[in-house]
Amino acid sequence: MDLIWIIGIVVIILVAFFALIYWGFYNRIIRTENRIDNSWAQIDVQLKRRADLIPNLIETVKGYMKHEKEVLENVTKARTSLMNAKSPQENIDADNMLTGALKSLFAVSENYPDLKANQNFLNLQDELTNTENKIAYSRQHFNDSVLSYNNTIETFPGLWFAKKMNRKTKEMLKVPEESKELHKVAF
Amino acid sequence: MGKKILIEDQIRRNKQLTILICTFMALLFIGVVFAFGYIFFQNIFIALAFGIPIAIVYVVITYSFSIKTVLSAAKARPANPKSREEKILIYKIEEMSIAAGLPMPKVYVQDSENINAFATGKKPENSVVCVTTGALHKLKPEELEGVIAHEMSHIKNHDILIATVTIAVVGTIALISEILLYSFLWGGAGRGRRNDGNAILIVIAIIFIILAPIFSRLTYLVISRRREYLADSNGAYLSRNPEGLAKALEKIKNDQPSGKPKGSKTVAPLYIANPFKRSRSERGSIWSTHPPIDERIRRLRSM
Repeated sequence: MDLIWIIGIVVIILVAFFALIYWGFYNRIIRTENRIDNSWAQIDVQLKRRADLIPNLIETVKGYMKHEKEVLENVTKARTSLMNAKSPQENIDADNMLTGALKSLFAVSENYPDLKANQNFLNLQDELTNTENKIAYSRQHFNDSVLSYNNTIETFPGLWFAKKMNRKTKEMLKVPEESKELHKVAF
Repeated sequence: MGKKILIEDQIRRNKQLTILICTFMALLFIGVVFAFGYIFFQNIFIALAFGIPIAIVYVVITYSFSIKTVLSAAKARPANPKSREEKILIYKIEEMSIAAGLPMPKVYVQDSENINAFATGKKPENSVVCVTTGALHKLKPEELEGVIAHEMSHIKNHDILIATVTIAVVGTIALISEILLYSFLWGGAGRGRRNDGNAILIVIAIIFIILAPIFSRLTYLVISRRREYLADSNGAYLSRNPEGLAKALEKIKNDQPSGKPKGSKTVAPLYIANPFKRSRSERGSIWSTHPPIDERIRRLRSM
């Protein structure tokens, strides 16, 4: 009689123990997934904001830069491909292109003292740098989240639960080497 | 330059050490409460009925030492987006909060020529980062970013909460030991109830009670310094640029503090570098809230 009791209690404790672990991992996986989605949403918001700022910038700059048609065209082109991008990676690639185009625009702007003194231009430049940095950091946060997600579902015992929940590892956003340095150029 | 340590490993090691030290602190607290009960009532459990409520009251009191109090002690004002410098500060904080995956904190500025910054707030949803105008003038963007990343890490690691609770425990231990010492002065405690041959135990308990406040204070300071290192390495992880913070710390070290520091000493542990210390490069003392700045720089450079 006593033995049955003991076995029963041990079984209950074991079941409760596994239920708790499952609960913990289930929540952890869902939570990280949400975090990944959220960081992507952040990137998306910033990309849109950036695309919205470009026409203003072109408008402001046009009057000053008469001989830099090509630079301006590149910016507009990059913006268009950003607007048309669909997958996350396409978005990021288009954004990198835009960053490069803007970089040469701001470099050229050094030759136009009047433009550099324009309050509107300064504000736009600050804000564009800001969105650029935000994108870089959201991307970093996105990759951090993906890393911790992949670690969870690829290591023991998360591995089991991930299989049960039918979860697969996620892709990180790839960034070309040279653009990693870009966000440090800040103002 | 020492051997390279992965930032992630530094962070993990720091966290483990904090847990260890906090456990020690908790044991110290329980020990004091038990010693108190033993001396007063010859019963360690009655003391729990006293010790726990005192601790809770203490936590509530220090906890209600709110954001407003800290900000007004520092004479801080909200950042003004109309000035370009402060607008860029707001931008930087926005960027770092995205990197940390935290909600945007409120941004405050303290008018002071010294380079410093602090973060406060009970939880990440409701926090404040404050930077001195000196830091805005003297730090390069990369360095400012490092300082902000450090503060953001304090918020992310719930350091304000940890500081509040540990200060409360230190306070409670000090209070209990004071009550006991006073009661000895008045000749009361436990006399006459001491009947068995437990005199030695009582003496041990008394010595323990006298030493406990010192130990708890030291433990608190160890925790405070640990959390600084942790915020440094975490900040380096967020900005992916340990050099930025290292350079900022170097500037803080070489910066001659001018004028009287504002604010109260109680908030000193919140700052990135103790604002009340004149020579920042001095060797680490067990009585300081922050680790020696040179060691912090060395660790950042070894990442």
